[in-house]
Amino acid sequence: MSELTFTPVIGIEIHIRLKTDTKIFCACSTDTDAPANTNICPVCMGLPGSLPRLNHNVVEKGMLAGMALHCTVQPRSLFFRKSYFYPDLPKGHQISQCDLPVVADGYIEVHDAEGKLKKIRVNHLHLEEDAAAMHHSASDGRLEGASTSYVDYNRAGMPLGEIVSEPDISSSAEAVEYAMNLQRRVRYAGASDADLDKGMMRFDANVSLKCSDGRWGRKVEVKNMNSFRALERAIEFEIKRQKKILQSGGEVLQETRHWNDAKGVTTASRVKEFYRKFIVEPDLPPLIVNQEWIDRVTAMMPEMPDVRANRYVHDMGLTQEAADILTDDKNTADYFEACVKAGANPVRAANWVRTEVLRVLNEMQKKISEFSIKPEVLAEIVRRVDDRKLSTTQAKEVFDYMCANDSGLDDAVKKLGITEGGVAGNALVEIIANVIKANPDVLAEIQSGKDTKGKKFKFLQGLVMKESKGQAKPQEVVEALTAALKQ
Amino acid sequence: MELYELDLYEASKGIKDKKFSPKELFESCKKRIDSCEDKIHAFITRTDGTAPVTENPNGIFAGVPTVLKDNLCTNGIRTTAASKILGNWKPPYDATAWKYLREAGAVLMGKVNMDEFAMGNTCGNSAFGPTHNPNDISRVPGGSSGGSAAAVSAGYVPFSLGSDTGGSIRQPASYCGVYGMKPTYGMVSRYGLISYGSSLDQIGPFARTIRDLQLVMSVLAQYDPMDSSCFREKNPDFTHNEDASIKGKRIALVKEFQNFTLDAPIAEAMKKTQKVLENNGAVITEVSLPVVSKYAVACYYALAMSEAHTNLERYDGVRYGYTVNDAAGIKEMFERVRSYGFGSEVKSRIIAGTCLTEPSRCDEYYVAATKVRTLIAQEFIRAFGECDFILQPVTPSLPHKIGEEDEDAMKGYETDLYTLPVNLAGLPGLSFFTGYDDATKLPVGLQLIGPRWSDSEILNAGMILERHLGSPKIANGGVK
Amino acid sequence: MKLSREEVNDIALESRLLLTEKELDGAVKYINNFLDILDSFKELDLTNVEPFSFAEALECPLREDKVNAFTNTQGIFNESEHVDGSYFKVPRIMED
Ligand SMILES: [Zn+2]
Repeated sequence: MSELTFTPVIGIEIHIRLKTDTKIFCACSTDTDAPANTNICPVCMGLPGSLPRLNHNVVEKGMLAGMALHCTVQPRSLFFRKSYFYPDLPKGHQISQCDLPVVADGYIEVHDAEGKLKKIRVNHLHLEEDAAAMHHSASDGRLEGASTSYVDYNRAGMPLGEIVSEPDISSSAEAVEYAMNLQRRVRYAGASDADLDKGMMRFDANVSLKCSDGRWGRKVEVKNMNSFRALERAIEFEIKRQKKILQSGGEVLQETRHWNDAKGVTTASRVKEFYRKFIVEPDLPPLIVNQEWIDRVTAMMPEMPDVRANRYVHDMGLTQEAADILTDDKNTADYFEACVKAGANPVRAANWVRTEVLRVLNEMQKKISEFSIKPEVLAEIVRRVDDRKLSTTQAKEVFDYMCANDSGLDDAVKKLGITEGGVAGNALVEIIANVIKANPDVLAEIQSGKDTKGKKFKFLQGLVMKESKGQAKPQEVVEALTAALKQ
Repeated sequence: MELYELDLYEASKGIKDKKFSPKELFESCKKRIDSCEDKIHAFITRTDGTAPVTENPNGIFAGVPTVLKDNLCTNGIRTTAASKILGNWKPPYDATAWKYLREAGAVLMGKVNMDEFAMGNTCGNSAFGPTHNPNDISRVPGGSSGGSAAAVSAGYVPFSLGSDTGGSIRQPASYCGVYGMKPTYGMVSRYGLISYGSSLDQIGPFARTIRDLQLVMSVLAQYDPMDSSCFREKNPDFTHNEDASIKGKRIALVKEFQNFTLDAPIAEAMKKTQKVLENNGAVITEVSLPVVSKYAVACYYALAMSEAHTNLERYDGVRYGYTVNDAAGIKEMFERVRSYGFGSEVKSRIIAGTCLTEPSRCDEYYVAATKVRTLIAQEFIRAFGECDFILQPVTPSLPHKIGEEDEDAMKGYETDLYTLPVNLAGLPGLSFFTGYDDATKLPVGLQLIGPRWSDSEILNAGMILERHLGSPKIANGGVK
Repeated sequence: MKLSREEVNDIALESRLLLTEKELDGAVKYINNFLDILDSFKELDLTNVEPFSFAEALECPLREDKVNAFTNTQGIFNESEHVDGSYFKVPRIMED
């Protein structure tokens, strides 16, 4: 009997918080740092008599996110009521577009096991409201054993886009690449900050296995993944779990399971699955998006990271690796392009950004938008190196000095004692000291007065000039070397 | 003549002309309420402890008292929808319709009785007990806006607001002998109206003259961005025009309704009214509404309950209303709150609505009903190609005695056939007074309906009918 | 009868309603009656009929994305018996 093989069939649902100032159906702020239950009103608290009012910007951000995933905007979409009883849901139902979404039919590319590009189809993105945040602990910070839960309605009514993929994903690695790619693209589009730490991006996965003997396992919905790592681990766990069941001839139950990140397992949800009944939301007429609006949003769409990286490789001569690193974050890519626009050589600017700039930002835990050295200034540094006004070593010293002291370029050059076009001051003294140190016998000869013809002096002078890569002025070298030898 | 007997137009004019003060009018109305309320029981909450000060002394309702159906939210004033589940809920905001009245200077005498969550047509299905018909206190005032109709009929206030989901303004107006207007869906903001069937609900006024209805409609019919189903482009003109005419208007009877039996006083009223219309130059014609007459009742209840059960999902005791403090878990808390808080009729409708929208039945019932509704709306559009208005009864019979409700609940639904198609198609409907039945002395009302946005034309026709059929008198309110 | 007592009771529980025997009797009768009436829809050919929407092709109005904080949040807090500090407190969710 031949060994059974299993092919995972995975679909992912990703919720992203759309980037707006107000909630989806009311004028409450979306500020995530606000104290609990301060951004609330009759609408998002589900008070009797209140009615939803759709936020224009939520629709627009949904369109942007959808376009970033190659989706098509639907001219007419609808809202529904999705019922379930839970204290995080003020109206006892969630207003969601479910089946008639604002954008549909897109894809995201990932690399398969052989490294080939593969399209994961995006079924649609629909708009919906978030539920309130629940804290299952005492408000005084006590954790376990609390007999109560605490509800913060600030999150109720926050605008979400739910992005539903087709079951085209075959591994946890593809799933993570899909999710990371999606995150990058919606960030590029300005549709969402998709900050995982702030719960702005959450994952659910549908996992089933196709067995080589023709059996198909039932679809299991795994919920509660809040990081890429959790997504990866949960899918891997679930594949392993289902494989074991199928191998032993068992049957995988269609169910909802929860990912327990601390224990690294999925557990069957003990709550009976909610009846999914939808009725049309009678308080919101159909959402109509006309061509003029679609055109306007299309014009707002920035170049996507893959297109941008391609351009860097083909037009600027960057390596694919460098291009990928630079385009990972839109602001980094924008910074790089501003450098190039300000006259820096693309390849050298790319090296500077991906090594020095990203290193410093990482050390300082800062975003590139907060970086003190403007791209035009970095371009100037790159240019000075090209013009041999600064050595590479000097340029890096200058750069570090500017980062550490928040100073301007010329200021830093002056402070470091670098004169226009050369190695001078302390830098020169240092080189001389090193040269002398490396040649004790020559030093001894000179100091004993044997170098009457000055040959040995010339020898040291030549070494210093070489060390300074020709950037020191001969007159200064003579003076400084003479002074050093007298010590 | 007492001040409480004045209609809205007269009361407002008297105050403006300084013939009497708002306080005098208020005191007169309060005295009237004090003398009748024991018998009628229209109020759930009275707010007339001290004379309220008008917010706008120059508004068209400056100093005129009014009452609101208790499903309209009033900031800081108890609002119950006649349900135990809302307990002593004080909304933190005003319904837009009330805000508009307030800003026009109206003062609030209180919140009045209704069937729980507007589910019912007797005003007897209230957690606060039944309201009595001021024309005969042994009889029902109709519902669900029974308190609003009774208050105007008994002379508590010259006008009031109610809501109409399937006849809840028109039927009690007819039972109590006042005028009641159900505006075109989308004409009046629903913001702050506690929803029953959101796509059917509409707020409207009660008054003792058509001119008063026109006054109230002129204030209510304003665009409100808070209600997404409210129409922006419509600017109806409700100016009272004595010269309005119905000459040449085609007024139709519904062919299929002619087979249904009507109580004699209502059949007589139909004949009398047709004559008045003809005498004023209108042409009586006939239209056919086969789908409406056969399927409207089923369609209406399917949709009303489907929407209602989701509108009632929010009552869980966490944020407002009746609650329990000793539940062991959240499920127990919700179950105890909802089981105690909702009345039996509401529970039945919640269960029916839940049942109809479950995945296994959703297409067969809920989705089918939304399609039947399309057919009904189309049928009315066709009919209004052949006529300007439709004349029909509000109910087939006069108000019954309190406690004599039909054993068969579904039969009660059939009596709604004349009112609820209007809500399904979003049409305006006027319930107007035609006179008193000789035998019972009860008022007899009929209904005029028109195409969407014909509200002001209907009221013009109503004015001509009022001129020839007479205006209703203030009911004795059980007081000799 | 389309729905048994047990089925009706299940639907009631799903709606978070515990019915008395009398209420359950009433609900069973009510719903079965009602479903019989709804069977009349089968007489109609609805295949090419669109679900209802108002003839004027009403579009969803869109609100400008501008914060307008609700000023009477105290009025909201006042109405709940479950306020604890700045939170709303509910019994712990117990999975059954
Ligand atoms: Zn809000």
